[in-house]
Amino acid sequence: MSRVKRFFRTYTPFTRAGMQEMVAYRANFLCFLIGEIMASFIMYFVWKAVFDSSESETFMGFTMEDMVVYLFITFLAGYLTYSDGAFTVGEEIIDGSIAMRMIRPCSFEMCFLFQELGNRIISVSMIFVPIVAGVEIYRYVQAGEVRFQPIYFLLFLLSLVIAYMISFYFNVCYGFMAFFFKNLWGTTLIKETVVNFLSGAIVPLAFLPAGLANVLNFLPFASLSYTPVMIYMGMYSYSEIAWRMGLQIFWLLVMYGLSKLIWRSAVRHLSVQGG
Amino acid sequence: MESMIYAENLRKEFKKIIKEPGLKGAAKALFKPNKELITAVDNISFEVPAGEILGFIGPNGAGKSTVIKMLTGILTPTSGFCRINGKIPQEDRKNYVREIGVVFGQRTQLWWDLALRETYSVLKEIYQVPEEQFKKRMAFLNEVLELDSFITSPVRTLSLGQRMRADIAAALLHSPKVLFLDEPTIGLDVVVKENIRSAIRKINEEEGTTVILTTHDLADIELLCERIVMIDKGRKVFDGGLSELRHNFGDVRTFRFELVNGPDFKLLDYRRRFKLTDDDVCAERDGSSVTVRFDTAKVSVEEMISYTLSTVHVKDLNIKDVEIEEIIKKLYRREVSL
Repeated sequence: MSRVKRFFRTYTPFTRAGMQEMVAYRANFLCFLIGEIMASFIMYFVWKAVFDSSESETFMGFTMEDMVVYLFITFLAGYLTYSDGAFTVGEEIIDGSIAMRMIRPCSFEMCFLFQELGNRIISVSMIFVPIVAGVEIYRYVQAGEVRFQPIYFLLFLLSLVIAYMISFYFNVCYGFMAFFFKNLWGTTLIKETVVNFLSGAIVPLAFLPAGLANVLNFLPFASLSYTPVMIYMGMYSYSEIAWRMGLQIFWLLVMYGLSKLIWRSAVRHLSVQGG
Repeated sequence: MESMIYAENLRKEFKKIIKEPGLKGAAKALFKPNKELITAVDNISFEVPAGEILGFIGPNGAGKSTVIKMLTGILTPTSGFCRINGKIPQEDRKNYVREIGVVFGQRTQLWWDLALRETYSVLKEIYQVPEEQFKKRMAFLNEVLELDSFITSPVRTLSLGQRMRADIAAALLHSPKVLFLDEPTIGLDVVVKENIRSAIRKINEEEGTTVILTTHDLADIELLCERIVMIDKGRKVFDGGLSELRHNFGDVRTFRFELVNGPDFKLLDYRRRFKLTDDDVCAERDGSSVTVRFDTAKVSVEEMISYTLSTVHVKDLNIKDVEIEEIIKKLYRREVSL
């Protein structure tokens, strides 16, 4: 059996289990989704007020139409690249349940990754098409022509996948903070807010002062949602897309390397006590 | 032939941060932690031949679980090493765990939100058990552990006894060569305990699986184990067969009698009569019935009985056989040195 085939045979059951888990908690998921969509609409009305009170049609190079696309695609990208599966690793180290993972012949982060993919498959299938279709219909109605560009869309998907992987490894690293903080609830709130701001999920990076925006554009957080969203909107030229995605891959490698490093030292200092 | 399990000078130290009480103490611990080194396992060596059931006993906090965790590759020893099934767990974890099964009585490896049978089908893929073999195996496990009645229920709805049986089945699905059981009977009722013991015995007999078992239930030990290793405060204090244990630690005997006149009990003073300490003899009275435990290495049965009969009026006297439990209790109570 080839190595690749064996790899997938080992980890696809996790995906299946992740999907079943998602189905088991579907009510929870639906409530969460409704809350998130409501938040997006609040943002929509805030920006609408800004644009309505503005003298010109555009605001910092964005039209109201752009802003709507930005808001909802950012919501979609943010949701799809959100990763908290691996973050549990830190908690499991503290309560010792990591032991139950170590007795299985598999790699931890792959178990987490594939299990989370199972979750994602269900949620993506539920929200991806409606949001993209909704945004495109809106654009069509506003502009009177089809704005959907398949090439940008495909690049967007690719960029989104990389963004998810960055988010995944970033959260693996973050999860290990549980080692020091013993409880991640409070720090998670801070982390989410900071990441949301730095990644342009709240305010487009283009709206920020030029100096700050330049710095943020290079940080890994921009790779999480700003880059894919800008690609979707057709804001970048092909050469810009190429180097932005290069930057994404760079950050992915950094996060991957960092997580490996932390894991190695964590395992050596593991002290599963009690039970 | 090399032993299935070989452990040499296993040692595990933990750093523990001592916090002083209160907010000030917490702040101090944050900036200048006061660390203390705790030796949980102190140079333990032992071997287990293939096909043996070894009982691992010791009081709470003795370091049993820590040893098991080092043997299963979860913890890395501070020094020393172990080799199981020809492999060093810490060096090649993924390949090593393919051939072992582990049950921690206080944790579960089952998928909490899914029906029990889903866990088994996930495990089937992880361990790459062929379909044909999987069916046979499930049938066998069903028979010895009686999983049928709850195999379609979500794991979170199972009772403790069901969950433990399910966990043991999960550890055995891939026909491991070595089975590690850390308190597999904790908190279970007599019937389930018996069920689990007979399953362990059957798997050991039919497949020659080597088993290491930690427990606080000495019935588990007496019914399953040929050999025991006892540890206390991280050190090995005994390693041998049960009969050896009885021999080495003196025969603790118990005899029980009814007093014709209850208050006569105060006339009996075994300690002074035979110059014994509290460890050697213990007499308890409950109404008119009296129970006396004593060490036959210090005083003979005959002397004890004749002293008793000559001092008080007794009816209905009986002498019980040596109980392993008595020996262990005695060992736990005193700081054992051998």
